[in-house]
Amino acid sequence: MVQRFSNITGRAWVFGNNINTDQIIQGQYLRLLDYSEMAKHTFEIPRPLFASRVKKNDIVVAGHNFGGGSSREEAPKVLLHSGVGCVVAESFARIFYRNSFNIGLPLLIVQNGSKLVKDGETVTVNLLEGTLTIKEKGDVIHGKPLPNRMLEILKAGGAVPWYKQRAGHKG
Amino acid sequence: MGQTIAEKILASHTEDGKASAGEIIEARVDLLMVHEVLGSRILPILDEMGFKKVWNPNRVLVVNDHWAPASDINSAEIHRRNRNFVKEQGITNFCDVDCGISHQVLPEMGLVVPGATIIGSDSHSTTYGAFNAFSTGLAATDSALILATGVCWFRVPESLRIEISGELGERVMSKDLILKIINQLGPDGANYQSMEFHGPTIDAMSVGERMTMCNMTVEAGAKCAPMPINQDVRFWMEDFAPKKKWKEVTNDSDAEYVDTLQFDLNEDPLEPTVAPPELPTNGKPVAEVEGVPIDQAFIGSCTNGRIGDLIIAAEILKGRKIHKGVRLIVTPASKATYMEALERGIIKILMESGGIVTNSTCGACVGGHLGVLGPGDVCISSTNRNFRGRMGHQDSRIYLASPATVAASALKGVITDPRSV
Repeated sequence: MVQRFSNITGRAWVFGNNINTDQIIQGQYLRLLDYSEMAKHTFEIPRPLFASRVKKNDIVVAGHNFGGGSSREEAPKVLLHSGVGCVVAESFARIFYRNSFNIGLPLLIVQNGSKLVKDGETVTVNLLEGTLTIKEKGDVIHGKPLPNRMLEILKAGGAVPWYKQRAGHKG
Repeated sequence: MGQTIAEKILASHTEDGKASAGEIIEARVDLLMVHEVLGSRILPILDEMGFKKVWNPNRVLVVNDHWAPASDINSAEIHRRNRNFVKEQGITNFCDVDCGISHQVLPEMGLVVPGATIIGSDSHSTTYGAFNAFSTGLAATDSALILATGVCWFRVPESLRIEISGELGERVMSKDLILKIINQLGPDGANYQSMEFHGPTIDAMSVGERMTMCNMTVEAGAKCAPMPINQDVRFWMEDFAPKKKWKEVTNDSDAEYVDTLQFDLNEDPLEPTVAPPELPTNGKPVAEVEGVPIDQAFIGSCTNGRIGDLIIAAEILKGRKIHKGVRLIVTPASKATYMEALERGIIKILMESGGIVTNSTCGACVGGHLGVLGPGDVCISSTNRNFRGRMGHQDSRIYLASPATVAASALKGVITDPRSV
């Protein structure tokens, strides 16, 4: 359990500012009922090769305001289905932030990550300490520790298991 | 310390009656609106939860609006699932594919109440702030949890106060004003915040004009956008929700704001504003983009498909023909809007000018159907988002503008100042 949050290691996919949910998954694919089908179109506009090249635990590293626009939960879902281990950005749009933790996709707020990390570099995220480490350089960038509520939901495995735990606890 | 409108509404929906900016609270939800995301995403989550019964079938609105009527087999399947759910759960408020866009039909059904908490499975749910409600968009998992429990956790937002005075001017619309305001804020300038509007300009606006403003606050990242009540909201409540009891919610004079923005439109007159691709916050005076050739002009959506929007378009297009080769597509926001436009003779004017009038749906705005853009297409649109690929092909381009600017541009075939035609 602890390992799952303290050591997420993968290659970095670096993006700029204001990557909105239409760039993560276009509206035309929302009618697909199967997430694995939909995930083939992840980042189709900004990074057409992403879906075919992404590997398990790869890390998306972006600038500010990642995930703005539509409320679509499909955006974090296709990232999770693609194997993305964590999204690191300078800031997140509010609905995307909430949706990601709800479905069990970790996010970390780190300043300047997209400037310091090069595309393809291997990086490690430690959610418990709120750090991003660039393996080759050994640089450790300190981010914003996760709020308790988000860590609670993440540890439960997402909002549905979190809800079930709470319902069980109350009942 | 006094409270903002958002704090006051949220506080009145918690068990201990408290809510201060920055706190995490559990609040009762007065109304939940879900659209196609119910059939496509929420139902599988409800299965996983072991869900049996909706917490209150009178406090849920289900709408089939995004691809209405069904544009393909999958959307038809999603619509079927929604109909079945409504039937099984005995949900009283249902709008099938004939009704129109959720954010327009919800107030038309008398379901919006000042002081209420309204959650929608759609980012543009900030729209109901026009009625002095706390309303915000969430997505599938949160909607599923609300369907089961009727409550939701929120981080109480900080509030940004926006004061507006002065006149909009001829053929300058509230769309131009909100494009200017969000341009000043940037795409995350109000992230997590409540944009609380005040001032004589907001007080003088029609319900439709106010809805356009609140609708687009999410493009600056806002969580909600409550406005104080005005006369037109009172008339609306008398007409559409005469039996509902409600009390207006005002901010305290000593409420705390993160910042205050002031706009005096008499001192600094507002120009028709256009947001070039690929951010809604790219707004600039129309003069800076005048002359850009267009292939399509679109009037519709939850932002600007209301009767006031169709009236101004008809006023500009009456007795004239749109430019050869331009496609003008008009999608009224709801069936009621469409019927009123029919009775007023507006539909005839729009069609005689060369326009195509479609049924009410989100349609072209989400690149769904009834006006999808092809590679290289340039569209001037009264909608809310000009993201790359939003209305179709990734190599199409969208310029956001008011319905007046869209109509004037359809006439000329290039982006045009509506005051010049």
